[in-house]
Amino acid sequence: MKRDIIALSTAAALATVLLFVPMLSHGQESDADKAKAAKAAAKAKNIARALEENSRQLTLFDRQGKVIKVVGERAIYNQPSISPDLTRIAVIRQDLENETADLWVISIETGAGTKLTKSKSREPVRSPVWAPDSAWVAFAAQRDSYDGIYRVKADGSGTEELLYKLPGAGTVPTDWSLDGKYINYYVSQLGDNILYALPLEGDRKPVVVARSQSEIVAARLSPDSRFLGYRSNETGRNEVWVRAFDPANPDAPARKWQISDQGGLGMVWWRRDGRELYYFAADRGIMAVSVSTSPTLEFGKPKLLFKAPNTIPNGPNAAPGNLGSVSRDGERIVFSLPPAPRLQQLTMFDRTGKVVRTIGEPAQIGQPAFSPDGKKLAFVRNNIEAGNANIWTVDLENGKETQITNDSFPHNNPTWSPDGKHIAYQSNRGTYTSIYWRSSDGGPEEMLFRYTPGAGLGLTDFTPDGQHVLFDGGAILMAARLEGADPIARKAIEMSREEYEVGFGRVSPDGRYISYGSTESNNRIEIFIRPFDLAKAALADEGKVQATKDGPGGGNIWRNDGKEVFYARSEPGSEEVELKSVEVTPGPAVQVSEPKLLFKLRDVAGGNTKFISPDGQRFVFAIRQPAR
Amino acid sequence: MTPRLPARFALATPLVLAVSITATAHHNMSAIFDFNDRVTVSGTLTKIDWRNPHIEFLVDTKSASGDAETWKYEGPAPFFFRERSVGKPDFEVAIGKPVKVEASRARDGSRWGLLRQITLPGDKVVSACPQNC
Repeated sequence: MKRDIIALSTAAALATVLLFVPMLSHGQESDADKAKAAKAAAKAKNIARALEENSRQLTLFDRQGKVIKVVGERAIYNQPSISPDLTRIAVIRQDLENETADLWVISIETGAGTKLTKSKSREPVRSPVWAPDSAWVAFAAQRDSYDGIYRVKADGSGTEELLYKLPGAGTVPTDWSLDGKYINYYVSQLGDNILYALPLEGDRKPVVVARSQSEIVAARLSPDSRFLGYRSNETGRNEVWVRAFDPANPDAPARKWQISDQGGLGMVWWRRDGRELYYFAADRGIMAVSVSTSPTLEFGKPKLLFKAPNTIPNGPNAAPGNLGSVSRDGERIVFSLPPAPRLQQLTMFDRTGKVVRTIGEPAQIGQPAFSPDGKKLAFVRNNIEAGNANIWTVDLENGKETQITNDSFPHNNPTWSPDGKHIAYQSNRGTYTSIYWRSSDGGPEEMLFRYTPGAGLGLTDFTPDGQHVLFDGGAILMAARLEGADPIARKAIEMSREEYEVGFGRVSPDGRYISYGSTESNNRIEIFIRPFDLAKAALADEGKVQATKDGPGGGNIWRNDGKEVFYARSEPGSEEVELKSVEVTPGPAVQVSEPKLLFKLRDVAGGNTKFISPDGQRFVFAIRQPAR
Repeated sequence: MTPRLPARFALATPLVLAVSITATAHHNMSAIFDFNDRVTVSGTLTKIDWRNPHIEFLVDTKSASGDAETWKYEGPAPFFFRERSVGKPDFEVAIGKPVKVEASRARDGSRWGLLRQITLPGDKVVSACPQNC
């Protein structure tokens, strides 16, 4: 029913917009007015679609997993938290229209919501925690360039009160002590993971509760403040731990207990009497652990209460704590339930946009990339149950699929080596993002290049001789020569580092040119083609040509004879993708034709991979399927 | 632990085609700079490098003992400023003029900082937050 209301609201909003636009056109409307109206209509459409696909339903469960209540209207909610008196849910609600995220309190009985904060764009509120008397909610927010911990009355009266202006960043309040005197918060930076207690009386000088070299995410003190429950990756996997805590000597080595053994994602919630704690496991399980203190402290074996609905993301690196929490009495669990994810169908088109065939079954799938001989596709498939995304290939002749990667690391931008024997991809692992490859029939992983710690990269291509990989790094065109046996010793080559943004570098099949995206001409990404020194992986100073003027959104793919470059574009806010190409005439001064429209498509998902066959005759997209 | 992912340059299309060139961090900011160690320096802006993945500039000042010293600062990507209607010319005209810079200092204790806020001549305040805060 609620879903129907949203659908109607969305339809009504769209209808309003669509009606509004023609009405305006009857008057003496200027071009500027028309453009403004079109922009507003496009924004309304985008918001409606984003709401339809992403809005979540606050849902209250009991310990057996039975739905007790569906609360309030659908919206984009995060970090729901049940009040200690069990009457309300504090939650962060995003406003797509104004691009803000504010704190709301929703009545469990009536579903009525009260907005407690009024934030500016880029100053989102986060991490609400309830006072033990349910009268206040504390939260973190950035205001005028500073992080702060604030509190506000839960009934909506009064204004927010700054409790502490923080010298650091990335602050996460986790709890309000049962005696009401402290708010705990943690700050997690490299080598600097600290849990603080902020006194609400006196000088409000934060006290260090715990400090750790490894992550101590989601740390919460037991009600008697003798133990600290937290999530840590110190074993190489996220698990839940408890350690003894001496407030007089918080940094002293302390006995600790590993609570979860099959992956624990946090958060840790203690029951009000301290006799039970709860956490989310890596398989969507909501786990309860009994705690006894007599005659000695003992933790029971984790017991599954129930498994969260499968629209809650899972896997070893998921953060279900953003979407759910456990009440103080341990009897209620609230989730902000996302809708079922839309699936995609790999679909092949010809140059006129006619469907040639579909490939495989609908799934969460994307980033299709043709092999150099055009006979196979590599793609990324998200396993919804396992919560990971791995690279697969499919043989286009017999439909046989082969899994290339099989682990929980992220894998993106599958890119075939020029000889078709390997598939490279980028993967972020801890501090590093690196480029790896495996043989195209699966096989051991080999690192090709590791980038600067903390820096992201986007793999875009190999040079045709296979001697370099090309990638984007911080809006710079980069390459790395695949020389020597030690990938860590390979250095990044800055091919183009500019005031404007450059990226998506792809070398022509003969190695004489590079095409890439750049914002230099009109603050939009346009495709440029430029002579290229294959041996040095260097851009020539002379001979640069701007190939497009209509703001491509992706593509930049060479036909295998080097005489055509394809790209995809769409009008801002439009769901329609235009597939276009330019003809390229090589020479000392490369020439490009006017862009030519090939066809238009809707509901396209994809990625910046080589989704066009080497001969330029086939186009494969992941086409989004109707909502389930 | 997580790389800071600052300003994103994106075309105004919502499609899932690759539509953005992201000015991501070039290194792990929190590993290099101590967000809890803030320094404010008043001096003369002497040089700027307005390029991706982040701008850099130099400020000459004098230490408490009167010795000349040069501070080097790292800011967000040019796009971050462009999005806030601040551009290279705003900094270029300030070269040779007094500025005040608040930054998070490098963990190695050198005269190197991650820009939080700069006050340009005419009391024009340019903040690098939330990216660098």
